[in-house]
Amino acid sequence: MENAKTNYSRRSFLKSSALVGGGLMISFSSLAKLGLDDKVSGVDLPDQWYELTGYIKITPDNLIKILNPNPEFGQNVMTSLPMIVAEELEADWKNVVVEMGPHDNVKFGPQFTGGSNSVRMYWKLLREAGSAARHMLLEAAAQTWSVPVEELTTKAGMIYHEKSGKSGTYGSFASKASTIPIPKGPKLKDVKDFKVVRSSQKNVEGLKIVSGQPLFGLDYKHEGMLIAMIHHPPAFGMKLKSFDAAQTLKMPGIIDVFSQKLYEEGFELGGFDTRTFNDLLVVVGKTTWEVINARKKLVVEWEPAGDIKETVAGRDGKREVVVPGELENTSTQLAKMKEHANKPAQQLRKDGDPETAFKNAAQIIERTYTAPFLAHNCMEPMNFFAHVTDEKALLVGPLQAPGWTKPTLSKLLKLPADKIEIQMTRMGGGFGLRAYGHYLSEAALISKKIKAPVKLVYTREDDMTYGIYRPMYTATYRAALDANKNLIAFHVKGGGIPEHPIHANRFPAGAVDNYLAEGWQIPSNITIGAFRAPRSNFNAAAEQSFLDEIAEAMGKDPIDFRLELLKRAKENPVGENNDYNADRYAGVLKLVKEKSGWNKPENKKYSRGVASYFCHNSYAAHVVDMIKRDGQPYVERVFSAIDCGIVVNPDAATNMVEGAVVDGIGNALYGGLTHKDGAAVQNNFNRYRMIRFHEAPKKIDVHFVQNDLDPTGLGEPPFPPVFGAVANALYKNTGERFYEQPYNLQLNKTSRA
Amino acid sequence: MITLNINKKNYNVDVDPETPLLWVLRDVINLVGTKYGCGVAQCGACVVHLNGEAVRSCVTKVSRAVGQKVVTIEGLSEKNDHPLQKAWIELDVPQCGYCQSGQIMSAAALLRENKNPTEKDIDAAMAGNICRCGTYLRIRKAIQLAAEMQRKGIKIP
Amino acid sequence: MQHHSKFGKPSSLPVKTIAVLSVFLSVIILMSFTFKNGSKISNTKLEMMNKDSVESVKAFMDVYRVLMSPRCVNCHPAGDVPLQGDDSHLHLMAPQRGKDGKGINVMKCSNCHQPTNVAGLNMPPGDPNWHLPPANMKMVFEGRTPNQLARQLVNPKTNGNKTLQKLIEHADDGLVKAGWNPGEGRTVPPLSHEEFKKAWITWIRTGAYAPRP
Repeated sequence: MENAKTNYSRRSFLKSSALVGGGLMISFSSLAKLGLDDKVSGVDLPDQWYELTGYIKITPDNLIKILNPNPEFGQNVMTSLPMIVAEELEADWKNVVVEMGPHDNVKFGPQFTGGSNSVRMYWKLLREAGSAARHMLLEAAAQTWSVPVEELTTKAGMIYHEKSGKSGTYGSFASKASTIPIPKGPKLKDVKDFKVVRSSQKNVEGLKIVSGQPLFGLDYKHEGMLIAMIHHPPAFGMKLKSFDAAQTLKMPGIIDVFSQKLYEEGFELGGFDTRTFNDLLVVVGKTTWEVINARKKLVVEWEPAGDIKETVAGRDGKREVVVPGELENTSTQLAKMKEHANKPAQQLRKDGDPETAFKNAAQIIERTYTAPFLAHNCMEPMNFFAHVTDEKALLVGPLQAPGWTKPTLSKLLKLPADKIEIQMTRMGGGFGLRAYGHYLSEAALISKKIKAPVKLVYTREDDMTYGIYRPMYTATYRAALDANKNLIAFHVKGGGIPEHPIHANRFPAGAVDNYLAEGWQIPSNITIGAFRAPRSNFNAAAEQSFLDEIAEAMGKDPIDFRLELLKRAKENPVGENNDYNADRYAGVLKLVKEKSGWNKPENKKYSRGVASYFCHNSYAAHVVDMIKRDGQPYVERVFSAIDCGIVVNPDAATNMVEGAVVDGIGNALYGGLTHKDGAAVQNNFNRYRMIRFHEAPKKIDVHFVQNDLDPTGLGEPPFPPVFGAVANALYKNTGERFYEQPYNLQLNKTSRA
Repeated sequence: MITLNINKKNYNVDVDPETPLLWVLRDVINLVGTKYGCGVAQCGACVVHLNGEAVRSCVTKVSRAVGQKVVTIEGLSEKNDHPLQKAWIELDVPQCGYCQSGQIMSAAALLRENKNPTEKDIDAAMAGNICRCGTYLRIRKAIQLAAEMQRKGIKIP
Repeated sequence: MQHHSKFGKPSSLPVKTIAVLSVFLSVIILMSFTFKNGSKISNTKLEMMNKDSVESVKAFMDVYRVLMSPRCVNCHPAGDVPLQGDDSHLHLMAPQRGKDGKGINVMKCSNCHQPTNVAGLNMPPGDPNWHLPPANMKMVFEGRTPNQLARQLVNPKTNGNKTLQKLIEHADDGLVKAGWNPGEGRTVPPLSHEEFKKAWITWIRTGAYAPRP
């Protein structure tokens, strides 16, 4: 048990809030609920907080503060995670204040946003925290009133003793409760008794967002803070040769220009230390615009970087990697993939005897799919604040996984981990990109070098042209049908630059007697990483389009065909390690079939495409309804069915699915990053097409499978099958199959022809 | 020294007159609600009102704002009670939230000229604002809800 | 006639098309001058040279190359949304022409294309008078053949009510000239403004002939 009175006094609070430009650092859910006329700045914070478990603080006035452990990038954890605590605590949600917790993996667990894991990995932890605190309060009340604890009940932040008619607020027992040991394995509520969880609660930071309060990393201010930008090589495969900063240094507001290695030679990279360029040519100045302008005045010579050896100690252990020096072009990338696709590949899974089955097939369907690199394009460009001294380091900004970057910072700065403080701001998007901590390392080294607090800012062009992209993928699918049009064999061989996309144990593995999955990859200097449902976001496009073609060849309804395969996978599964639950998978298909009125005549006017997928522990299916608008295909309506177990915050979850659908349509139709002589061709939103208002559907009808299973991921699962459903709807709409992403390329070809 | 009138308040700033208004707001005056998204007028995160027009502050030279009335998200309403702000909260529009101040400023300019916008009107007016999280459907609804509030007599400042 | 066949398929139309057109044009010229608010021909700078269909068409083909370049065609689209970029794709944020060609409410051209814009890569070019042709006179360039465009340009009913004199003056219009100052990362038209102006004036002064359809 920690000491009763925490450091979060009013005074220290005001100090920290002043640092971010006068805005409040905490969120008042009550404001949104009590009425919209409340002023953000009109709330007085009490002086005394009593801590009950790491997550909960209560004042004598019965204001309850819940610390959110996980970084918020739009997935709503700032609201939904505290709701889980409040549920078990039996707190009155409208008296709950939410604050972003500090980074402390001991006290707050994994603190990692990614893999659709936030709610899943904190579900039990936070329920236990809430329940433990409630039991501590009950114990305190029992001792104060000298009554058996079993006779006490709680409701909405109050404790009642029915026999004596006594009642008291949580706040009145908070001081005493904070001295009671935290019970181990406290009893949790029956899900049927949930009051806060499963009821829609509004975003606790909503009011601050709509009133422009400082929330994001780019909004963070610190006394004496300078601005730094990195001038990076014009292309992948290039490096710094020499530079002349004379003109830059003459520009107003410029403090320093220098070059610096990010990681010294032989530095062991963590799995999330991925970075594009190792030579940092840094311009430091007083304001953003001054640095942007002065950076243009640099006279720089670049040279080919050649092959580079790296030591990576990632999840798969330590390995030496050679990064090739070639200046890549999209056309040669495609040609190389085509060539590699015909070479032998690594076998990832094999069931039955696929070779013989294909030999004996009456009909073989073979299709090849490709997809380009994708840039994350978070609306808030990459940035981070660092203040590094000889004794300690403070880093503040938007990131998904502070715990993965701290060990690297410790090695780089030669400071013990406990002297490095990382504060997590709200993120203007992440989508996987902000799991990679190189920009913290960059900011920290810059601050150390100039001995000043500094914020590293990437311009949009920086952000887009030296990203950690979704890889370039391809896959060839083959299906063997016998004379009776039964599916007797299935073969997928996938590859990519620089990794392959294949999940060998996913559907339809387990549903086909003869099955083969293979993978291959081509090394590249183009940096890649997680992008909203890595690999799945390609597989669900390719595989789900392919299943649509098989169903058509078999003369079957595409939903019925999938359901038949899933029935087989459930009743008589082929092979082992099938990593999906056939019932739940079928469940979302049945739900979307029902809700979309799949075979209803009134929907015949739509070109309908269906797709489903399982990833990140959850199941999703969509029906996309396309029409022709001004002669062009347009997704007017989408029906979505999701199974992610218990839905903590239904309206926010619905918002997330709507967003994933829009994001999926946008990336399927328009997304893509190409290269010319190593340089990214798309360097801002006038060249990188993003989905906009008029391209978004009129309606997205989201349905969740109702069950009492522990919650699983939601940020990623709804995203991948959108691609497949769009491709299948395009086929109905145009009569053509779509094999290459972004699909808009083919649409343009068609409309020009 | 340049004098700017922002949210009905005068500020004296010592900046190069060529500096985009966006960076004067964010770095000098410390009004960070106006966001930097692309810097080239493509995403709409930086929309402010210049004499009521929804200009993109990232391409607006600060010299152009001299003697004009600038309104940013922080000054859209006195009590954060503009119908759009209310509607945004009511429909829980934001996901990451980064683009939303620009969305609201664009929507406010729309509602001033079109009291009852159809979905088509909204799409046409708002297509300059990107939301990477894909909250477009909720924004459409929120604009229509705000329009309804406005018609029912909730005053817009 | 040989030299302009390279711009299109050899025409099956008889040579007299040109002759017919030139008669038609002289009527237009006459009309324009007649109705020009009392101004006399001698007061204008429109000094016609000897009519020369070959010279005129040759000059027009240079004009055409410029007018069909992204810097010109992008704001003379076939639809009501301007084009964008060197590949002339539909302007991504789909701004609408509006009645006066200046956009609609939130999406006015001048919200981004300001009187003078900040310099830099990908920055939208600025001009005090940025606009498309108005809704009642769209002056479409996109998709027009040389013949169609030439006819459209000399006809006051389709050229913005411009007399030939006004047309000549239009070569020095601020927004026209802005095409040669497009900002970082954009190509300029295939001829310099001076060369364009020369071709433009030559085309008009030698009779404003249209190439064969």
